[in-house]
Amino acid sequence: MDRAFRARLESRFGDVATEPIRQRHDETELRIPAAAAPDVLRALHDEPEFRFLMLSDLAGVDTGEQMQVVYHLWSETTSDWLRVVAEGIARDEPRTPSITFLWKGAEWMEREAYDMFWIVFEGNRDLRRIYMPPDYTSFPLRKDFFLPDDAARSPGGGVRPMERSHAPQGTSAGAIRRVKA
Amino acid sequence: MTTTSHPGRHASADDPRVLLDDEIGVFGTVPPYPPRTEREAEFYTLGDGQMFLNMGPQHPSTHGVLRIVLKLDGEKVVDLDPVLGYLHRGVEKLCENADYHQVISQVDPLEYVSSLFCEWSPVMAFEKLLDVDVPRRAEYIRVLSGELNRIASHALFMGWFALDLGGLTPILWSFIERDEIVEMLAALTGQRMLFNYFRIGGVNGDLNHDFMSRLGDWMSRATGQIEANLTLLNQNEIFVRRARGLGVVDTETALAMCMTGPNLRATGSPFDVRRAHPYSIYPELDFDIPTRTEGDSLARYLLRMEEIKQSLRIIDQCLHQMPDGPIMAKLPRLLRPRPGRAYAAIEGPRGQYATYAISDGTDQPFRMRIHDPSFVHLQSVGLLMRGDLIADCMAIMASLDPVMGGVDK
Repeated sequence: MDRAFRARLESRFGDVATEPIRQRHDETELRIPAAAAPDVLRALHDEPEFRFLMLSDLAGVDTGEQMQVVYHLWSETTSDWLRVVAEGIARDEPRTPSITFLWKGAEWMEREAYDMFWIVFEGNRDLRRIYMPPDYTSFPLRKDFFLPDDAARSPGGGVRPMERSHAPQGTSAGAIRRVKA
Repeated sequence: MTTTSHPGRHASADDPRVLLDDEIGVFGTVPPYPPRTEREAEFYTLGDGQMFLNMGPQHPSTHGVLRIVLKLDGEKVVDLDPVLGYLHRGVEKLCENADYHQVISQVDPLEYVSSLFCEWSPVMAFEKLLDVDVPRRAEYIRVLSGELNRIASHALFMGWFALDLGGLTPILWSFIERDEIVEMLAALTGQRMLFNYFRIGGVNGDLNHDFMSRLGDWMSRATGQIEANLTLLNQNEIFVRRARGLGVVDTETALAMCMTGPNLRATGSPFDVRRAHPYSIYPELDFDIPTRTEGDSLARYLLRMEEIKQSLRIIDQCLHQMPDGPIMAKLPRLLRPRPGRAYAAIEGPRGQYATYAISDGTDQPFRMRIHDPSFVHLQSVGLLMRGDLIADCMAIMASLDPVMGGVDK
């Protein structure tokens, strides 16, 4: 854990952060509203005291209540991974700004998040499905998607959640796995 | 019957109930639906004298099931559009519906030539979620087997790369090396390719006599054998002149394209997760991070060959420093980590493998994101290839060393 880095982050991004900066193991977590992501990431990328030149990962997350886009960044100015959680994206119409203007390589990772979660990245010039066929209409990694596969007809059908093609019996359609993440 | 338009089909003039295949179908080069994005519209508009060429999905040199649509001007590649998804298994969804131990066997087939690295990053992320300390002997065994797997992967790369440049011999030679390592790892893990060997908190089995005797036997002649293999290519004028200056990329572009691993280091940046963000026992080991500055296909090839030598050094040190002790941390059978998030990244033979795991307190991960270097590297193929000939297309792709199992997840 890099305490000095946390102090630097707090003094620079304390006003945009939605929650106090947390640290655990070798990770520092900064949570920001999704609309602020381009400015915050540009500052992290360009400013000499941060210099996060490497986008290590870009992930979409469906917490069951909201959508998030999670960026993991690496810089030689700190010994921690920096996790930037862009949160507060609506589940029913997820939209968030793209960061392809900083890292062109984020293009496919954003396409993947779009393909899996329906998160629309505004500014991505090539936002189309990447894994699923073009005529596919669902978004498989969302929590309201249950695997519709042949296993549902197998003798063990319904034993594990992955073998259900619809919400489990006796629960309302809105009953999905949720987490505070 | 109303004749509705059906993608890829049209009604026969004689009998409107009969649908005939259009020349352009789902597998045709030009998609049978209107362009979805600006970029797609731009790509599928032909300029003067240009044509499309559909390469794949069953093309032998795409290293898996990948389809690339090439836009050609004569023999020059103007632009290209990779079409993914032919190997998509939905691993992340499967992992969300499996318990923490089952995840290890789910992620194994991602990069089937270096499976240990696919297991490593999820296992590390789960250990962070559970706050487990891995016994030192287990860490040493992980590094030892991992570096062996790295050599096997790089050896295979050498063969593939030469094969895509038109040389058949090196792949036969490199399979000798790879086969010995694979048999060795089979003696250790019980499997030749999909090892399922790492466990949350340690490894599945201790070093055994069969493995150690094979390893000792191989180590005594490995250096000489690898040198012999290298002279086959490094002194081959056709190979060197062909690979030099092909697919050049500079550090800034490589960072903007999120490249990692040998492909980034070939541009001069010394980023290696083992040193940049140390994990496991790598801080205790003595090895160099080779870099090159040219950033072309030859540099990427030479860099990987240099890494084989460094891996041999690491294996040697592991064998000398291997401590005694347990190989598994004490953990319950059913793992229920406290709600939280963890990120773990490791340096694999292709670059940085990473896992972002979210726990909601149950025995199944709530979300498991797998970051695969092949996926990221494949998107820069288009950037590296503009203006080159079709014949160089496969060579540049091979020099980036993507594995489609990892790309498609």
